[in-house]
Amino acid sequence: MFSKILIANRGEIAVRIIKTCRRLRIKTVVVYSEADADSLAVEMADESVFLGPPPANQSYLLADKIIQACRDTGAEAIHPGFGFLSEKAEFAQQCVDAGIVFIGPNAHAIAAMGDKIESKKFAQKAGVSCVPGHIGEIDDTAHAIRISEEIGYPVMIKASAGGGGKGIRVAWTRADVEEGFPAVKAEAKGAFGDDRIFIEKFITSPRHIEIQVLGDRHGHVVHLFERECSIQRRNQKVIEEAPSPLLDPETRAAMGAQAVALAKAVDYDSAGTVEFVAGQDKSFYFLEMNTRLQVEHPVTELITGLDLVEQMIRSAAGLPMDFTQEDLKINGWAIESRLYAEDPYRSFLPSIGRLVRYQPPAEGAHGLYQVRNDSGVREGDEISMFYDPMIAKLCTHGATRVDAVNGMARALEDLEIEGLGHNAPFLSAVMDQPRFRSGVLSTNYIKDEFPDGFGGLKAAADQLDLMTAAACWMHRLQITRARGDGRLFAASERDAFVVFIGEHKRAVKLSGEGRALNVELPGEGRSLGLQDVDWRPGRKLFKGVLDGRAFSLEVAAAPEGFLARHRAARARVLVLTPQSADLHERLPKKVAVDTSKLIVSPMPGLVVSLNVEVGREVKAGEAVAVIEAMKMQNLIKAECDGVVKAVGVKAGDSVAADEVLIEFA
Amino acid sequence: MQHILDELAHRREQARQGGGERRVASQHAKGKLTARERIDLLLDEGSFEEFDMFVEHRATEFGMADNRIPGDGVVTGWGAVNGRLVFVFSKDFTVFGGSLSGAHAKKILKVMDQAQKLGAPVIGMYDAGGARIQEGVESLAGYADIFLQNVMASGVIPQISVIMGPCAGGDVYSPAMTDFIFMVKDTSYMFVTGPDVVKTVTNEVVTAEELGGARVHAGKSGVADGAFENDLEALTQVRRLIDFLPLSNREKPPYRRSYDEADRAEPSLDTLVPANPNKPYDMKELIFKVVDEADFFEISPDYAKNIVIGFGRMDGDTVGFVANQPLSLAGVLDIDSSRKAARFVRFCDAFDIPIVTFVDVPGFMPGTRQEYGGLIKHGAKLLFAYAEATVPKITLITRKAYGGAYDVMSSKHLRGDFNYAWPTAEIAVMGAKGAVEIIFRAEAKDPDKLAEREAEYKARFANPFVAAQLGYIDDVIMPHSTRRRIVRALKSLKGKSLSNPAKKHDNIPL
Repeated sequence: MFSKILIANRGEIAVRIIKTCRRLRIKTVVVYSEADADSLAVEMADESVFLGPPPANQSYLLADKIIQACRDTGAEAIHPGFGFLSEKAEFAQQCVDAGIVFIGPNAHAIAAMGDKIESKKFAQKAGVSCVPGHIGEIDDTAHAIRISEEIGYPVMIKASAGGGGKGIRVAWTRADVEEGFPAVKAEAKGAFGDDRIFIEKFITSPRHIEIQVLGDRHGHVVHLFERECSIQRRNQKVIEEAPSPLLDPETRAAMGAQAVALAKAVDYDSAGTVEFVAGQDKSFYFLEMNTRLQVEHPVTELITGLDLVEQMIRSAAGLPMDFTQEDLKINGWAIESRLYAEDPYRSFLPSIGRLVRYQPPAEGAHGLYQVRNDSGVREGDEISMFYDPMIAKLCTHGATRVDAVNGMARALEDLEIEGLGHNAPFLSAVMDQPRFRSGVLSTNYIKDEFPDGFGGLKAAADQLDLMTAAACWMHRLQITRARGDGRLFAASERDAFVVFIGEHKRAVKLSGEGRALNVELPGEGRSLGLQDVDWRPGRKLFKGVLDGRAFSLEVAAAPEGFLARHRAARARVLVLTPQSADLHERLPKKVAVDTSKLIVSPMPGLVVSLNVEVGREVKAGEAVAVIEAMKMQNLIKAECDGVVKAVGVKAGDSVAADEVLIEFA
Repeated sequence: MQHILDELAHRREQARQGGGERRVASQHAKGKLTARERIDLLLDEGSFEEFDMFVEHRATEFGMADNRIPGDGVVTGWGAVNGRLVFVFSKDFTVFGGSLSGAHAKKILKVMDQAQKLGAPVIGMYDAGGARIQEGVESLAGYADIFLQNVMASGVIPQISVIMGPCAGGDVYSPAMTDFIFMVKDTSYMFVTGPDVVKTVTNEVVTAEELGGARVHAGKSGVADGAFENDLEALTQVRRLIDFLPLSNREKPPYRRSYDEADRAEPSLDTLVPANPNKPYDMKELIFKVVDEADFFEISPDYAKNIVIGFGRMDGDTVGFVANQPLSLAGVLDIDSSRKAARFVRFCDAFDIPIVTFVDVPGFMPGTRQEYGGLIKHGAKLLFAYAEATVPKITLITRKAYGGAYDVMSSKHLRGDFNYAWPTAEIAVMGAKGAVEIIFRAEAKDPDKLAEREAEYKARFANPFVAAQLGYIDDVIMPHSTRRRIVRALKSLKGKSLSNPAKKHDNIPL
């Protein structure tokens, strides 16, 4: 076994690997860029080595520098994590040449699976079910049409080197191919410098299901069952789970056997993932193989009890696997939500910045579910613009899918993030959807269910009750305290109030002492019992139990009343005396006023950069320019949504105060 | 006997109707509440007691003899805000447009007089059409009498004005002399001369909203200390403000039990100041993380954003915060921010409210606009205010404290009681680059040498330790322990006794 490992990665995966190494009593070295100098990974590692400026090509992709760091620190092996150098066969080879163990598959396996066309050939040879399609060069459009008609429409025209949604088109008719084939070819040439194209059957309403495989250097390969990653936004996985609600034991076994066969065909000797596309009818076809640890590996770990990083390290150290396929069982159900620093209410725009507050739910058992949170950041850290804006991977594990989903919904409630936009409300919305709960997933899920984007959900009846009870509690606490002791004029005690939640209005009558509050709803002939409240003024999470149901609300003080969010529902809640309620209703509802269409420089200074151009759609709060003044960089943000009509300055210009920078249409 | 009681009830009922149903409906249609409704929202339920409900004007000319309405356009009296005594007057737009007659003025004067005697704040709600023209000079005399009382009460009791409708001409000068002015967006405006006069005199066409709306005064002119969406929100926030303030200069600021631990550590403050010295950060995060329960009442949030001022509590006791804001203009001191903070410092000093100052200031704003505007004298106001203040003064330098601005921001030299610095503080005459360009002018053409000198200067001065060696900084503290350190310092200062030399009054550079 190794005594010291270098981790050629950053963020949560670096932290994740360090945790396993600590358990195995292996010393760790992390490399880091300027942006990560104070990161959690650097703090946790035994040693750290500086690489360079933040951009990856000047830091985390510098293979030579990383290998030198290994030599300098005496690390015997490198774990590449995922992304960066993890799937570069040359790097794996470089390590071997330098006498350093690469914790991952051999370079040959990486190379074989790295090319989409090559990997399909291997798959076919290994008897893996492949999407009906054409493998090999396509001469021209006529050839493409012939192939498409052989396969049968719809077909997908895809660049061999493509990825991330680029160089892909779906053709439903001959005309689509005529138009699409040359277009994809041109796009591929431009984007990847490689215009090889392949055509395959397009599966409608497809599901993304992948098999985790694990091999050692003694020829053993097992599979660790499947993960379903169908919930994707723009080809980025958002929610993953294991096992898949689609599969039955037979299909699972068939997919597992094929994945193992493919892995064996390339002498696979580490953790890897064989991705399949599946139809709703449980047909499945090979997509590609990822020769690395996957982001979503925790769900597999939760249902198998294995530590995949440990297994990779053991394999790399030449140890044989100490279990067989028969020893592996699926234990319960696990779900992972990827928490991103992006604003779901503003078309998921990245919302990088400082984590003013970051308190994830406690890891460990919470009744029917347990929580695992893989994160590389702490409160006060910065989510930087240079890397993936992921805050954490929040996982829940329960005995059944229902327990895991309910657990995730609750875990998302218990999450506290402030300072930047995050997608927890969106993830919560998915957890509460009947379709998600029914398990009928597809990679089109988000497009189908949120055709107009995400604007939050209306509070359901039970959520109105939670908000009512919590607001009454907070109001009672504040008025009781404000009344003070020994004041000259004792304010009259009152128990009847009117609660407004958004458009809803209801009368309440409060009673109860200490940690309990009874909220009678005279208009509805029932009452709400709030207990075990864990909140005090200034706290962002209001925790309590309402009639036996544990919940957490995000709350904030507003100039009048409170702002509350439960899962995907947000509302302003007012608790007023009946008289104030009457007057409140009398006040007119204000329509948003037309704010200025101009963004002006608030100070004299130098334009460092402009982030928009004419015709760009800009959302309120988006940074549009950077102005340097007093040697300080100032972010200029849009105050309202709009489309840029004119840009009055360019980078390098000096501007006066109030000079127009940008004009909206 | 019953007859007499009925008579009183009838008269009261009549007075409460103000200008009558039609005018009340029109007031509501404009999105405004009536004078009495506003008082009800401002004060504790059922605590209002009215003065001078039956007062009527005494004018006889221009048909006024037959046109009398009890109350005469203003509702006055007293009540409680969370059990504490306050005096109020609320202009009644439904009665003679709230215009000021001699009798109307006397009602306000009575309230102001009582408030000063009893030591309780006066809150004025404005929604009025100016002078009662029919009364001529008597109306002007009424204004002047009120102005005088505003001045007499200043620094004795807190005076708060809430502008909830038109407020023009003579009416603006009474609020102008009070401690805080709040406005309601879209329904209120304030100006000395209205759009018609502006058009006649200068040919400038402008709407009332553009000339003196809430957004103008809260953001551009700085006349207003805050703008709110509607009457209810404005009055809710005035109640909140009152909770921070002493009722008069004869009592200590109020104590409110805190649910927050006095020694709460905030590890995330250790990373608040970015590694890059030119990168801004939000100073309000520091305030919110240090103050009790993240409860901070910001004054003038939309004006001169490069300085943040407002009230909070530290372990239950009210303090005033003054903080440079690196997010806006790098936190520089300019004319507007100096004036904004100076007035706030003087308010705190007048009412015995300790001042906590957070410093990250690159200096004073250069430029013709500032110099022509009189930056020298405006900047001196803040310097003067800090220097004369005898309340407990705690200062924390988080990052830059350069040049004269270092002196100004509640430095040790201006009788700061506890002057702390974070390890990230840089206390120097100016930034390293500028400094070496002056000291080593001879080497200006050699960039390598200059860079070397800059590094040298940085190593020497870009830290808090030189100042700490000289005793100008009492201690360099860990950012995460800021709350505990400030709470302890404030407690130790409870018995502070300091006074300035006897004089009629000072001569602050107004």
